[in-house]
Amino acid sequence: MLEGVPVLSLTILIPLIGAFITFSLGKYGKYAKYIALAFSVGALLLSLLIAYEFATDPSPSATGYHSDYQFYEEHAWISTLGINYIVGLDGISLPLFVLTTLLCTLSIIFSWDTEKRPKEYFGLMLILEVGVLGVFVSLDYFMFYVFWEVVLIPMYFMIGIWGGPRKDYAAIKFFIYTHVASLALLIAIMAMYFEAGLQTFSMEAIAGVSVDFAKGVQVAIFAAMFFGFGVKLPMVPFHTWLPDAHVEAPTAGSVLLAGLLLKMGGYGIIRVAMTSLPQGADSLSVLMAVMGVVSIIYGAILCLAQTDLKKMVAYSSISHMGFVLLGFATLGEVGIVAGVFQMFAHGLVTAVLFMMCGVVQHKCGTRLIPQLGGLAKRMPIAAAMITIGFLASLGLPGLVSFAAEFMVLYATFAKWSMWVFVPIIAVAITAAYYLWALQKSMFGPMTDKIDTSHLKDVTWYEGVPVAILIVLIAVFGVFPSLIFSKITPAVEILLRLYGGG
Amino acid sequence: MLEYAWLIPVFPFVAFLLIALLPKRTLWWESGAVYAIAGTLCSLVLSMLVVWSVLNGETLTTDTPKFKWLEVGDFSLEFGVWIDQLTALMLVVVSIVGTLVVVYSGGYMREEGEGRRRYYAEITLFISVMFGLVISDNYLQMFIFWELVGLCSYLLIGFWYEKPSAASAAKRAFIVTRVGDIMFMAGIIILFKYVGSLDFETLFSESAAVAVPTDMMILATALIFGGAIGKSAQFPLHEWLPDAMEGPTTVSALIHAATMVKAGVYLVARSYPLLIHAPESLLFVAVIGGVTAILAATVALAANDIKRVLAYSTISQLGYMILGLGAGGYLVIYANSPGGYAAATFHLMNHAFFKALLFLCAGSVIHAIGTNDMRLMGGLGKKMKITSLTMLIGALAISGIPPFSGFWSKDEVLAAVWHAGEFDSVFFLLWLMGIVTAFMTAFYMFRMWFMTFAGEPRSEYHAHESPRIMTVPLMILAGLAMTSGFVLFIGDGFKGFMESSIEGLLHGAEHESLVDIAAEIFTDPLTYVSLTLAVVGIMLARKIYLTPGFDRSMFSRGFNGKLQRALENRWYISKFYDDFAVKVVYGLSLIADKFDRYVIDGLVNGFAFLGGNTGNFIRRLQDGNVQRYASLILVGICLLLILVLYILPWGG
Amino acid sequence: MIPIEYWLIFSSLLFVIGAYGVVSRKNAIVVLMCIEIMLNAANINLVMFSSYHSVLHTVPDATGQVFALFSIAIAAAEVAVGLAIILSVYRRYQTIDVDKINILRW
Repeated sequence: MLEGVPVLSLTILIPLIGAFITFSLGKYGKYAKYIALAFSVGALLLSLLIAYEFATDPSPSATGYHSDYQFYEEHAWISTLGINYIVGLDGISLPLFVLTTLLCTLSIIFSWDTEKRPKEYFGLMLILEVGVLGVFVSLDYFMFYVFWEVVLIPMYFMIGIWGGPRKDYAAIKFFIYTHVASLALLIAIMAMYFEAGLQTFSMEAIAGVSVDFAKGVQVAIFAAMFFGFGVKLPMVPFHTWLPDAHVEAPTAGSVLLAGLLLKMGGYGIIRVAMTSLPQGADSLSVLMAVMGVVSIIYGAILCLAQTDLKKMVAYSSISHMGFVLLGFATLGEVGIVAGVFQMFAHGLVTAVLFMMCGVVQHKCGTRLIPQLGGLAKRMPIAAAMITIGFLASLGLPGLVSFAAEFMVLYATFAKWSMWVFVPIIAVAITAAYYLWALQKSMFGPMTDKIDTSHLKDVTWYEGVPVAILIVLIAVFGVFPSLIFSKITPAVEILLRLYGGG
Repeated sequence: MLEYAWLIPVFPFVAFLLIALLPKRTLWWESGAVYAIAGTLCSLVLSMLVVWSVLNGETLTTDTPKFKWLEVGDFSLEFGVWIDQLTALMLVVVSIVGTLVVVYSGGYMREEGEGRRRYYAEITLFISVMFGLVISDNYLQMFIFWELVGLCSYLLIGFWYEKPSAASAAKRAFIVTRVGDIMFMAGIIILFKYVGSLDFETLFSESAAVAVPTDMMILATALIFGGAIGKSAQFPLHEWLPDAMEGPTTVSALIHAATMVKAGVYLVARSYPLLIHAPESLLFVAVIGGVTAILAATVALAANDIKRVLAYSTISQLGYMILGLGAGGYLVIYANSPGGYAAATFHLMNHAFFKALLFLCAGSVIHAIGTNDMRLMGGLGKKMKITSLTMLIGALAISGIPPFSGFWSKDEVLAAVWHAGEFDSVFFLLWLMGIVTAFMTAFYMFRMWFMTFAGEPRSEYHAHESPRIMTVPLMILAGLAMTSGFVLFIGDGFKGFMESSIEGLLHGAEHESLVDIAAEIFTDPLTYVSLTLAVVGIMLARKIYLTPGFDRSMFSRGFNGKLQRALENRWYISKFYDDFAVKVVYGLSLIADKFDRYVIDGLVNGFAFLGGNTGNFIRRLQDGNVQRYASLILVGICLLLILVLYILPWGG
Repeated sequence: MIPIEYWLIFSSLLFVIGAYGVVSRKNAIVVLMCIEIMLNAANINLVMFSSYHSVLHTVPDATGQVFALFSIAIAAAEVAVGLAIILSVYRRYQTIDVDKINILRW
């Protein structure tokens, strides 16, 4: 059905066109949200079609299938430098690809009441979608890097224009911090390009020779990439841009930042670093694991101390993305698959959490937990949604994160045996901070520190996106194999580099 | 019949979905109670059919139908259904108590208005996942439902969420049990690594036991028992259960007395084929059980809240079961006898009935006069005849007075512990703790009964007997509390029934006849020791709490009142946890927060500051004097030329 | 023929004198004149090397001379532009002291 159609390029193109139209609306700015929604829904439908057509176990001769990638497209771009336009999907990128179109659409719905400069706001969101989609499908280092940097700009403006009181500081910090990391990544890409000496930036072509690089070279390049992607992930101690950015960002910005931008870091590690440099990954696997475990524990402990609901959720992202890193560090099938799944799961769950923080902020005018209390009485639907979100995030079985956490811990035990007891403590701390926040903000007597007389429950544009996400959280929690069956073959191919799979 | 067993949890789940999602108008009577009762009744009927098949010797433990949950390479997890005698026992307990409690709620929750819908939704969900737990055929499936029952417990404890104490108790219950759950999960992970499967069928085979190294087996079984410590409120994680009494009394009866807290005991019983490979773990199990039994009983002596007395009594009785299982494991290993195992599971069933009865009676009292404090009660017996009589039956049963059910099972547990003493003398000490607990149990149960129903009213209230919808379940449960002990002598006998679920572990055990069992009970002098102590306990309670004008201050004066204070403060264990949580964990997090803010982020901001200031300093060099620039350029070119031409090796 | 070193020393001297003037004199017109001196030092070199080249290789080649003529022409245009700038600077600041015209700083 999709044979011969450049469907991935189309998916990227749709929001790009939408962005241009939205930007050029002139005085018809109030229609921006309709246009943005239409185009993002278009991209969403197309991505769902791709997911539906995605073959779990394709025959290598199938159309649109190139080595391990499906919907493959390749065009020369700047041939003198060996830069090509190459896109393709495999099981690792597919869940993130669909997640991107989904979260962008839901964020646009969630921002329905944006009044301040709507055409720029929605246009930037679509640009962001283009960038993130591009990162997840690029198979050429140059393109990858370009899209990687494209993502920064709309996010910078979203924080800087629509942000909270300290938006300038947060926006600059976000931009510079992640940009420095990007430079490390650029150096690593250049090093691979010149070391490979193939006069091409194609990931596949370079990976073909980079696996045989000398061990020292691999370790050095891997370390640079690890730093570059690790800041984005983020891992402790390069995480401090995240809470600042989240606290100041508008709700939809936070959703996209935590739901998609953090995934780019994890995706980069597995797609670029681990695929190209097996020896480097092998040598640094303990470092990765330590960073992962430190992020898990440290992030969880920090959550306990937060009084701002949104900042707590932001720190919990650090903790949960630590599981991704820990899963990857095991270099085993179960761990890596679980890490990829955790990225997907975290994308869904954290979107719910940030949206609900936005709802609380919107209704109560504050997110400070000591100021809140007893909201469940006035906002029962919101309280139920936030409860489900927290429960999903703390890894309750039957909801999406559990399978990933269990598998990561299993893989950790399989590789490092008793060390598993260190990250496992975080599971209890996670329950503690979420339930504490729930008790203090939603339950107990109605707060008298804020004016609660006009408190209303969620509006449709807040409730619908969260409800959709919650349904997905439950569906993939009960039937995780829907996603696992897509991820596993891709990871098996990857693991052949490590003597497994 | 057994292949339809998976439907048992489906009925209440459908009821849950209906109650949660249907529009308000269509919920009919009591905001959805109809659906809840219908759902639980259907699963009651189906459970009974399944139990009947099991009684006829059918089990479903091999080649069970499976549902593949996820598969990653060799890592594969499947769900299925496992029905054996132990499952049947749990099905009996959960279905009967569940149905009766839901019916009783129809009267008890009448005044809750809008909240009833939430209540019925949550309680049907609980019953559904509890059924799911008992029919699980592997540890992971069990763990999933294990967590879900914990969730329902959390939601129901916090049912009156506007009350700060309820919201706090719910949170504590979840976090404390989660600590146990994590241990359970770690235990599962260890087993999975070595055996490669979590199915009971594979794990319980001999080959699996060989695959796990001995030290890992001890660790894994101890960790799995850790899950039971959390869920069954064993020392040192027992303090959440008394707090959980903040929930509605029906919830306490169903979840915190009859079913969910039994899940831990069920888990230990289920893990017998693994535990017998790790006697160290068994000893650990028994010691924890014994310590819990006596510790909780002492606190119950001084509690004034009627539900807290029952809560501590539940903990104490759960300790009994755990102790019985620990001792039973020794008997299985060294004496080829299922005695302890059968006794503990027997006690599990009997306790579920009489403790549910006691809680529902307490609920009836609270419903009538609106307080939990026994110091404000008294003399209720005249006004609430059915409640007082059924509660008396429950109290007699738990105190171990024949012919009520508690007598048979408690006596069997103590006998098993005594016999295990032959193989490890620690069990003699544990037996002593058990028998002291039996004495205290009789004392505090009748203290409670006398304070509530006997004597004169100690406060103004207008009590009335509860409506029929509440008293009928009480009478049914009272009937069960009177008769369930005789299961010991029906058909193959309870012991014979349970024995068949662990047949594989017993090599050449001779089957005891029912006459032998009866003779053993009545000829054993230990039976009379415990019976005498129970009677003495009751008489003592009567003496102290019924005699008008009896001077009770002697207790508060003992040990300068320290003992009384320690008991009233629950041995300061709860306080210790609070301090630990607030001072250590929260303190640590505050330190970490400062560290993050000032050290890590300080470094980041420091770099930014450094960069900014350096730039600020260096830009002063650009003073706008073109001639200076030109001269510097000249000097620079000269220096470069010198460098290239004369200094660098490739120059010149 | 005059040895090549003489030419080189001569043009170097001119260049250095010009450069010294550029960096030391205050008056913008003098600076401009010094720049012309430096330019002419380069022109001398062009002409000199060109004539040496045609003599030594016995080829009729006048590229250097042509270049020098170009350079002189451009220098003339440049002086015109430079003087125009100085004039407008003088109008704006009432001075052509280069030390005082330092607004392009920091």
